[in-house]
Amino acid sequence: MDLLSQLRGQIADFSAFLHREGFVDDQFTQLQKLRDESSPGFVVEVVSLFFEDCEKLVNNMAKALEQQIVDFKQVDSHVHQLKGSSSSIGAARIHNVCIAFKTCCEDQNRDGCVRCLQQVNHECIQLKNNLQTLFKLEQQIVAAGGSIPAMQ
Amino acid sequence: MEIMESGAADTQQKHEEKYQQQTEEKHFHVLAVDDSLIERKLLERLLKVSSYRVTFVDSGDKALEYLGLLNSIDNVKATSSSSSSSSSYQSPRQDQGMKVNLIITDYCMPGMSGYDLLKRVKGSYFKDVPVVIMSSENIPSRIGMCLDEGAEEFLLKPLQLSDMEKLQHHLLNSLEHSCERIDKSLNTDSNCIAVRNKSNSNHGSVSRVRRQMT
Repeated sequence: MDLLSQLRGQIADFSAFLHREGFVDDQFTQLQKLRDESSPGFVVEVVSLFFEDCEKLVNNMAKALEQQIVDFKQVDSHVHQLKGSSSSIGAARIHNVCIAFKTCCEDQNRDGCVRCLQQVNHECIQLKNNLQTLFKLEQQIVAAGGSIPAMQ
Repeated sequence: MEIMESGAADTQQKHEEKYQQQTEEKHFHVLAVDDSLIERKLLERLLKVSSYRVTFVDSGDKALEYLGLLNSIDNVKATSSSSSSSSSYQSPRQDQGMKVNLIITDYCMPGMSGYDLLKRVKGSYFKDVPVVIMSSENIPSRIGMCLDEGAEEFLLKPLQLSDMEKLQHHLLNSLEHSCERIDKSLNTDSNCIAVRNKSNSNHGSVSRVRRQMT
């Protein structure tokens, strides 16, 4: 099997894995559809922005939850932002944690919020690693003379 | 825009200006309002792929400012904090190339919500510009409220390419209505009421013929 076919097989398997395990959903596929010759770095760009935003929000939420008197409204607004952006890029697991997180904010449940925040952080790290793997595979395909295959 | 036949160079320049104008007019101009950078990036891509020209602002206030609606009587606070305009009244933005054909706005934004923006637009010079609201939350009462206030469409986030087709529909409708108004005003009819849901494909072609004739 030549290199290109090998890489294509790898990327197909990896994408299937990401979808199957719920790391990404159909919205991520929609993002990939928007990539073309005029905007080849679109997905990488949006994903990078997302993780930058994620880090900022996680830090802000951590600070807010450390306060003696927690401003749950503020935490909730951060969660709302993260919920929206994770949904827009198809980061399904993160989005799901945000739903639970919102409930904890509404219930003013500090421990619940702290747990959710830890989960958000964990999911962000996992997704970041997974997408880096995916992007590397895509780069390898392009380097081997192929074009990035459309995802299922 | 009439072409003056006062010399070859003059005519040439007028031809070029007309071509430029038609090129700009070929692409609908969308004013997009969202406070989230990531949402704006996605929307930018969706709109550009659909061949729209886009202007982005990150708040309702900035949208009003762009449209020239900010310094109105009922917004004294904004006037004093606005640094860009020195005059007390800013006329609505009517520059040929920057005409806004559709406004798409997020519902949930800090400060002015998409709903507030919708109300302001519908009560202004731009009341016939279609406004589309986006929201990540599927709340029937919210949707009803926006549609009642005159929103053309309510889109659920996350947005996809298929949502862009809905925009096309509203843009074409609004173009049709503006042609009807042009026709009516040319016929010196003072009752310039845009008739909704009136389908008359002739009006589209009438406007094209007029542009060719000028």
